[in-house]
Amino acid sequence: MNLNPDGPPVITAWSAISPFGYGHDAFTDGFTAGESTVDAVDEERWQVAGERAALVPDFDVRSLLGAKGTRSMNRVTGLAVVTAGRLLAQVPDRDDEFAEGTGLVLGTTTGSPESMMGFTRASLVGERPDHVEPAAVPSCVMNCAAGQVAIWHQLKGPNATVAAGRRTGLVGLNYARRLLATGRARMVLCGAAEEYSTARAKVERCAQDGTPGPALGEGCAMVLLEPAAHAIARGATPLASLLAVESATCVGGNRGQAVRDAVSRTLHRAGVRQGEVSVAAGTTASADERNALSDLFGTRADTTAAHDLIGDTASVSALFQLATVLGAERDEDGLAVITALDDDGAISTALLKLHPVTAAGRTEAREPALAGGVR
Amino acid sequence: MSTQPTGSAARPADRRVVITGCGVISSIGTGVAEFSAALRAGRSNVRPITAFDTTGFAHSNGCEVPGFEPERWIHNVDITELGRASRFSVAAARLAIEDSGIGEDRLRDRRGVVSVGTTDGECRDLDTLVEAELAGGEAGMDPVNARRIPAGNISTAISRELGLTDVESSTIATACSAGNYAIGNGFDAIRLGEADFALVGGADAVCRKTFTIFYRLRSIAPDCCRPFDKNRMGILTGEGAGILMLESLESAQARGARIYAEVLGYGLSCDANHPVAPHQPSITRCMDLALHDAGVKPGEVDLISAHGTGTKANDLTETRAIRDLFGEDTPRVVSMKSMLGHTMGAASALAAIGCALAITDRFVPPTVNHEETDPECAVDCVPNESVPADLRIVQNNGWAFGGNNSVVIFGRLDTESTENTESAEAELEGATR
Repeated sequence: MNLNPDGPPVITAWSAISPFGYGHDAFTDGFTAGESTVDAVDEERWQVAGERAALVPDFDVRSLLGAKGTRSMNRVTGLAVVTAGRLLAQVPDRDDEFAEGTGLVLGTTTGSPESMMGFTRASLVGERPDHVEPAAVPSCVMNCAAGQVAIWHQLKGPNATVAAGRRTGLVGLNYARRLLATGRARMVLCGAAEEYSTARAKVERCAQDGTPGPALGEGCAMVLLEPAAHAIARGATPLASLLAVESATCVGGNRGQAVRDAVSRTLHRAGVRQGEVSVAAGTTASADERNALSDLFGTRADTTAAHDLIGDTASVSALFQLATVLGAERDEDGLAVITALDDDGAISTALLKLHPVTAAGRTEAREPALAGGVR
Repeated sequence: MSTQPTGSAARPADRRVVITGCGVISSIGTGVAEFSAALRAGRSNVRPITAFDTTGFAHSNGCEVPGFEPERWIHNVDITELGRASRFSVAAARLAIEDSGIGEDRLRDRRGVVSVGTTDGECRDLDTLVEAELAGGEAGMDPVNARRIPAGNISTAISRELGLTDVESSTIATACSAGNYAIGNGFDAIRLGEADFALVGGADAVCRKTFTIFYRLRSIAPDCCRPFDKNRMGILTGEGAGILMLESLESAQARGARIYAEVLGYGLSCDANHPVAPHQPSITRCMDLALHDAGVKPGEVDLISAHGTGTKANDLTETRAIRDLFGEDTPRVVSMKSMLGHTMGAASALAAIGCALAITDRFVPPTVNHEETDPECAVDCVPNESVPADLRIVQNNGWAFGGNNSVVIFGRLDTESTENTESAEAELEGATR
């Protein structure tokens, strides 16, 4: 492969824990099979009635990470720590500079409503308002998961938590790209995590106010982004080059048109013609986003949103959509557009150059066993 | 097919970035003029917290924003859609734009970044939902509160209110150093030529959850916040927003803008050590990275605006980290939290504005409530009264739960550039009279 060492940064590995299961193969196979994972929620376990959602199968923090240091770890933190472990297991020969040179960018909607609301509830119902569990404190802050990933995997580089609705993953990629471009990190783990919880289901149901929305989903998706030269130097195979991420806001007006404008602007600024794009994938199920991509790209617009199969994963949804593209087999270069339109009219688009991934290559990149990924 | 990146690898990465506008919503003043006067006078506004029922807490002083009127600044977005932190952030953004002298219409044609830091997002609404459920069951929960929750709203609300279409809006939720993170994000975007302007800073609102966290950790002071004092007892929770308008030096000079200061660089580090306790080596490394990024030697720093929460652990660790890097002869080290309380995600943003004002208005904001310096925190914290000073380089520290450290370095523009700006301003003034 002729990769320009001075070219844009590259994604060299990814992992995901999703309702399809554990690891990138489980995700890719599940998405390819195309069966929805939305199911009735265990009412006893989750204390909800008549809920349908897509949950990560058999996810239990302590059974995956052990008893030490996990007593007060909430689900979203566990999802992020385990996914990061699986991603890092794909990076052999980590040298001494690895810890300080490796950053983490992790997306969220608002951390864990279960932890935060549980803490407030304890303050309100306790004998005294300060009769709360001190061990619960760290999990009540939005950057808990990112901080814990750093502790578990000893990542001492830039560590950021980003929130931008369903666009989060794409905005996070841009933030990660800037960290690399300015030399603040040599590699960045860039992901997002969202948990299913009783509190999240309750808040979501309340927000919908009688008009049921999509079923909730959960999980964590994470990619490894590094400068092309860094990937070449360590002999890593690039899966895709991140050419551009652009964002916009639709203020009033026509959202479909705003998505078309945003995509056109992204292509224009990158010097890419519409006809060169081989696949375009929208993150949400909204008609505005789907129709805009169909208008622009015709049959090259992939109308299957991960959203439809694994539920609304909120801040992770754009990265899961990216994962559908990264996981697809391809024997030649291609250009991919990923879009995300949020409910408030904010739009982000990413343009990636996909590098060939054969079945053999996919096997090579197979994730090692989970045990290798955590301490 | 184009293989050229739009990313910065192919671009020169050296546009200089300056602060041309500041917007402040705080407990001690609204707008830069009030804020600067309050910092100079060493004012604080400590009062019993009204945001939630404090019954049962032995003490509950805080630094709330009194009499906030969102309708003065929010005209286009339905105010009821926004939680208190988002209202603060939108108001501060509008103030920053007014202060910068750029017409809002002109901003709409330009490419920008809106990046706002927060600790709690709209946690006050989560608290309200819990209270409502306890009082009246799930049916008592108000959809209005539920819809305000996503933390991304704190930044997208600014773009929606101001009609900014060609912008990247995102919230950085790295707790109490988030404001510095956001400033760094905007700085990099402009420096790399990816944005013409950036509205950056932080916003948070006082809420039960966070007050209770610090209270339970025995880190809330019973009366007031006394950083570096022998008898310091902790923080007071505060609230507000600070938003800065950043643009390239070239753009600021071309429009004859008043320039507060230059953003010289910043540093980020992660402790990877403990979720809530500060970690000295990592803090030292963060300051070192920031100075290196800014091209500044420790001896050239004239003032450090400390994270300075007034907890036992922070002030001790921060002092040691500063000594570690600066030696015994440290610059003055002040804590604006002594006046503002701990405004969480807004803290380093408001302090950054304080740094910019200190440079422009030529004074060092004091550390108030100071009685007796802790011998283990033996820094010149400029106790109780501000002093006039000619500051060239100022460092702004921010640490956070999660081990998220961020330090930003500001500098006064060199004389030549300042003269250019002054003459441009003089021309403008002449033209309007």
